[in-house]
Amino acid sequence: MSAAAFYSRARRTALGLALPLAALVAWEISARLGDVPSYLIAPSVILASTWDMATTGELWQHTSNSLVRALGGYAIGAAAGITMGLLAGIARPVERFYDPIVSLTYPVPKIVVLPILIAWLGSGDASKIAVVTAAVFYPTFINSLYGAKGVNRIYVWSARNMGARPIAVFLKVILPASLPQVLTGLRVGLALAFIVTVAAEMQNSRNGLGFLVMTAEDSMRFDLMYAAIIAAGVIGFAGDRLLVTLRRRALAGQAIGKEGAHG
Amino acid sequence: MTDGGTPDAVAAARQRPGQALLEVRELVKTFRRGTRTVEAIDRFSLTVNDGEFVAIVGPSGCGKSTFLHILGGFEPYDSGTMLLNGAAIKGPGPDRGMLFQEFALYPWRSVIGNVGWALEVQGKPRAERIAAAERYLKLVGLSAFRDAYPAELSGGMKQRVALARVLAFEPRILLMDEPFGALDAQTRELMQEELNTIWQETRNTVLFVTHDIDEAIYLADRVIVFTARPGRIKDEVNIALERPRRADVRKSAGYIAYRNRVWDSLRAEVLKAREEFQ
Repeated sequence: MSAAAFYSRARRTALGLALPLAALVAWEISARLGDVPSYLIAPSVILASTWDMATTGELWQHTSNSLVRALGGYAIGAAAGITMGLLAGIARPVERFYDPIVSLTYPVPKIVVLPILIAWLGSGDASKIAVVTAAVFYPTFINSLYGAKGVNRIYVWSARNMGARPIAVFLKVILPASLPQVLTGLRVGLALAFIVTVAAEMQNSRNGLGFLVMTAEDSMRFDLMYAAIIAAGVIGFAGDRLLVTLRRRALAGQAIGKEGAHG
Repeated sequence: MTDGGTPDAVAAARQRPGQALLEVRELVKTFRRGTRTVEAIDRFSLTVNDGEFVAIVGPSGCGKSTFLHILGGFEPYDSGTMLLNGAAIKGPGPDRGMLFQEFALYPWRSVIGNVGWALEVQGKPRAERIAAAERYLKLVGLSAFRDAYPAELSGGMKQRVALARVLAFEPRILLMDEPFGALDAQTRELMQEELNTIWQETRNTVLFVTHDIDEAIYLADRVIVFTARPGRIKDEVNIALERPRRADVRKSAGYIAYRNRVWDSLRAEVLKAREEFQ
């Protein structure tokens, strides 16, 4: 990178950071001057508490509990959503089979079925993973469905013309051609997985970040609540960045994945 | 013809010049539009000989593309027989190489990955398919772009890659559906010359559909004029211009005479097709 490019990039980054930093400084000053409600703890105090919880391993314990639920549900929901979505996208009868049930249940907020799932699966991880699975299924299913439906007919014709059997057409044409939209579904699904996990833990759990927020509220320990929020924010952000990087790699060369690759 | 080192020595060796390769008899195709049944192709018959370059011209909507899609095995038809090398055509297959107007290159694959695709799904070993892909890329003059992606190529380059991809699996006949229709006028003319040069070397049997009379006469041994819907043969013109054809053949008196003849046949059909749209 040339010096000029470096400075121009640094300037852009600095511009983006200006507002959050100013807000943090204002927050810190007003918290120290003492004229704010008790839930607005100084950022320095929040950082200190977060650091304490991190070093004792308590924060990591709750984070890993949440991660198991979020990623467990994500894996199952995404696998089911992508498989069924792609199949529905290439076979009309499969689409007709799924369409009514998906259309009916899609707008239902998935968290409301948690009590039913708890009655059925108990209050352990299984019911939470199940509700996350349900939440992740829809965006991955719908995006995969439209990804597969939108595959240019000529791509499929060319493949058949070149002697490809149906299974090769699916794996080597339908799948890569739908990939951009499948990845969009995966990204939306990941955010939902974290949201629904924390929501489920706030409703009924004995550990996890959602549980941490609820106990912090009960005991008026707002510093702990912020620690949980920070942890949830960090894993959500890291997961999303990871997916964005994967997407860029997977779509290398395609126009849609080309930002930055050639210029 | 070809010397031993050219890519299509094999294809050339299996040719039986002058013998019928593709035979279409009494092909009928109708489709439903609302409650009406529309005749797209009406008892159409055509024979294409081995090594022959045949062009079909016709007004838009006359069913010439539909005819090619039927030959490709992609569209159903009502009745008639279609034989390739004596065997009935059933469904899509690599004995016919289709070239589409929209190129149809796979954007997630590099140029070399696209050209070797057919051999890959046919289970050919990696070394063999890379060698074949490189040979045909060289034939279309794009060796330097083997690792580029389709999004990085111009329209003309994309269609050359698509041509290399089709030639690479050595079909018995090439079915070209307005392959240069999406290109600008200058690129289009250069591509016609390029195809002429390549054909001079490979001598593939070609059935070429276009609405461009100049393209048809410049490229083909025989030009077939389709009627407005339902598609039928209106006229058939043997183009006796000598080969190899250079670009300036387009200025010759013989060429202009052919052009007038084909246009006279086509004109009435274009007017008829236009009336139907209005």
